[in-house]
Amino acid sequence: MSPSPSSIIVRGSIDALPLFIPAIPFAFVFGVVVANAGIPGWLGWSSSPIIFGGAIQVTLFTLLGEGASVAAAVSAALIVGARHLFYSLTLAPRFQDQPDWFRWIGSYVLIDQVFVLIQTKPIDEPAIFRRYFLATGFTFWALWMVFTALGILLGPAIPESWGVEFAAPVLFVSLMMAASDRRDKLIAAVIAMGITLAFSQLPHRAGILVAVALTVGIMLLMHRRQS
Amino acid sequence: MIATAIILTGLGSYAMRAFFIFALARYSFPPILRRALEYVAPTVMAALVISMMTSTEGKLTAGWAESIGLLLAATVAKFTGNHIFSLLAGMGSFWVIRWIM
Repeated sequence: MSPSPSSIIVRGSIDALPLFIPAIPFAFVFGVVVANAGIPGWLGWSSSPIIFGGAIQVTLFTLLGEGASVAAAVSAALIVGARHLFYSLTLAPRFQDQPDWFRWIGSYVLIDQVFVLIQTKPIDEPAIFRRYFLATGFTFWALWMVFTALGILLGPAIPESWGVEFAAPVLFVSLMMAASDRRDKLIAAVIAMGITLAFSQLPHRAGILVAVALTVGIMLLMHRRQS
Repeated sequence: MIATAIILTGLGSYAMRAFFIFALARYSFPPILRRALEYVAPTVMAALVISMMTSTEGKLTAGWAESIGLLLAATVAKFTGNHIFSLLAGMGSFWVIRWIM
C-alpha cells in the first residue's frame, strides 16, 4: 500500500524543519553582510529567490562589499557553489524516470539539506520521490525567504558572542553521519576531512571540490583492490 | 551592477544544479559510476564541516569546545539518527564547555 500524496508532503515538510534551524543564524549573518556591503535591503533580499543558496549569496555580497568586480565576485560565488554539480550528477539517475517539468523545478531547490535528505531516503516510486523532494525543497525555500528578510530587517540582532553560527557545522556533521550508513562511507568522510584540511588554503573553498574528487577516487581504488 | 551580479550568479547556480540532471537524463549509468556517486553525500558534508572550521588562510579555528561539540553531535546522530537531538548535543556541549573554560 502506498502512502497518500498529502501524507508524503507533510512528511517531507516535517523532515525539513529541524534542518532549517541552523540556517536561522546564517540568515542573520546574511543580513549583516548585505548591510555592510551598502546594498539596499530589497536588492540584497532579491538574491534569495534568484540564487537560493546561503553560502553563494554571502560570498557574492562579501566580495561586492569589498569592492571586487562583478566578474570576480560572481565567479568566486559560483566556485563556492560548485559542489551542486556533484549533487546534480548524483541525483541524475533518480531524475531519469521523472517528467521534464520536475527536472526544471526540482533543480531550483536542489540545496545541501534537500540533497542529503533525499539521498538517505530509499524512495523508488517516482511520484513519491517527486512529492517528497518538492515538499522538503519548498519548505526550505519558504522559510529562507522569510528569514533572510528578517535577517536584513533586524541585522545584527544576535550578539556574535553567542556563537550561534556553530549550529551550521553541527548540522553538517549530523548530515554526514546520516549519509554514512555504511562503514566505507564513514571512512570516505574521514578521508575527505583530512584532504579538505590539507587543501584549506585554496581560494574560495575550492578545497571542498578537491577533497570530494580525490576521496571518491581513493574509495574506488580501495574497492578495486579488495575485489 | 549589483542586480547584474545577482542575476548572473542566479543563472550560474541554477545551471550547475540542473546540468547533469538534464545532460544525463537518458544515459545508463555504469556500476562503477553508481558506486562512485554513493560517496558524494558523506564526503561533501565532511568537507563542508572542515571548511567551516578553517579560516581563509587555511588555519584550523576549532578549539576544545568546537571539537567536543562536533564529536558529541556525530555520536548522537549515529545512535539516534535524529538531527534535533544531534543539534542539541552539539550546541549544548559547545556552550557548556565555553562557559567553563
